[in-house]
Amino acid sequence: MTALIIGDSGIAHGIAHAIAAGTLAQNRAVAALADTDVLDDPERTARALATLIGDEPVDLVVFAHLDPTGFVSAALTDISEEAWDQACERSLRQAFVALQQVYSLVADGTPVVLVLPNVGAVGVAGLVALCSAVEGIRVMAKAVARRWGVRSITVNTIEVDLATFMLGGADDPGAAALLPQVPVLGAPALPVAPILDDVMGLIGFFASPAGQAVTGAFLMADRGTVMLP
Amino acid sequence: MNTRVLDGQVVLVTGAAAGVGRGVAVAMARAGAVVGIGVRRPEVAADVADEVRDAGGTPVLLRCDVTDAIQSADAIGLLVAEHGRLDALVHNAVSNRSSEPTDFEHASLELWEEHASVTVRATWRLAVQAHAHLRVTQGAYLLMTSPAGIEGSAPLPFYSAVKAAQRGFVRALAREWGPDGIRVNSVAPLAISPALENLKATDPERVARIEGLVPLGRLGDPSTDIGPPSVFLCSQEARYVTGQTLVVSGGRFTSL
Repeated sequence: MTALIIGDSGIAHGIAHAIAAGTLAQNRAVAALADTDVLDDPERTARALATLIGDEPVDLVVFAHLDPTGFVSAALTDISEEAWDQACERSLRQAFVALQQVYSLVADGTPVVLVLPNVGAVGVAGLVALCSAVEGIRVMAKAVARRWGVRSITVNTIEVDLATFMLGGADDPGAAALLPQVPVLGAPALPVAPILDDVMGLIGFFASPAGQAVTGAFLMADRGTVMLP
Repeated sequence: MNTRVLDGQVVLVTGAAAGVGRGVAVAMARAGAVVGIGVRRPEVAADVADEVRDAGGTPVLLRCDVTDAIQSADAIGLLVAEHGRLDALVHNAVSNRSSEPTDFEHASLELWEEHASVTVRATWRLAVQAHAHLRVTQGAYLLMTSPAGIEGSAPLPFYSAVKAAQRGFVRALAREWGPDGIRVNSVAPLAISPALENLKATDPERVARIEGLVPLGRLGDPSTDIGPPSVFLCSQEARYVTGQTLVVSGGRFTSL
């Protein structure tokens, strides 16, 4: 069986490596679509996926992609229309194209997991475009979860802190310190722990028989940094 | 309670020709505002202006297709030139196809663009165009989002996504514009729409079934149910409220 990982974010690469290393209970081959430019066009995406997957059955899909220009902090009034499109709307379009193509690719019962940064849940000054894209994609996932339930395809979302999304859990405190900070009331509730491990645990759950009744869910894997009402 | 909470204030409402936008415009008028009535075809919206005038407001009919950057800039510019200020901007306009069921699995990027251009791009562009004026008045930017943008709607996946994007926008921009004294909020209404009015005539039982899901037993009236909370969020009565989405649904949505 094959896990399809879509995205060129740090977390997408981290997940691909973890699955290839046999982290999940069931061993899978990994097909990684990291050339995300193809997501600008449904036909190119379909061709790229066909080439990547071949005849291999896909039994897990992970989507973890946002246009990286969205991570650059800027005042909204300083953003050009082109920059807005790139930082926000392109991410939304690419998520739509990716999910649409996934639907025709996977068998009934396949779990689809989206991994996004937790910025949309609280909002971050300077990252309006990114926050808009994340929330749009998160609810797009809920809408398709409702649609695809008839095929027993589950669609769930995991949100991680911004540093983990971008760096994939790589131990690079210098790079993490340069990232925009999500406003929170205090330190994470849990002590420092590798968030990628938690993400893999949740993906493993969604991909297991125990998780087949869970769809449209939204879970934070950020050590209790953001706690929603 | 002072019902003329917008006396002397100037508000622009986009998509004000019908439905929720029209109702909100009339409610703003009842609260005493000069109301910029943003519509694509002002030549057929004279009745909205009459209704705003009858409600006690001062109407200004404005050509404002929000997908046209020049039109929206001109609408804001004209309103400010005539009345000297802008206290609130209510972005209500949606794609004409927003209530059409969308076949997500086969839909085109062109259809996506129809939704995104009105709801996502115009949300950004109107903010940019209004910012300097709202900073002067310590005003408010209010987005009319939807419960679909919170819980996700199977028949309306595009609408759900673009309306959800507005909520992320509200949260982030409220933080960004807080230091400027500008509040950014949204309303998620459940209201009778022109489409539902038509359905009421042709299939009243179906409308009754929909109304049966609402604890208060009816769909919201755009003017008298959705309007007042919108007025509140645009007024100084809500001066400490920002970054929020107020669900106005008669209790239909209680988990949002």
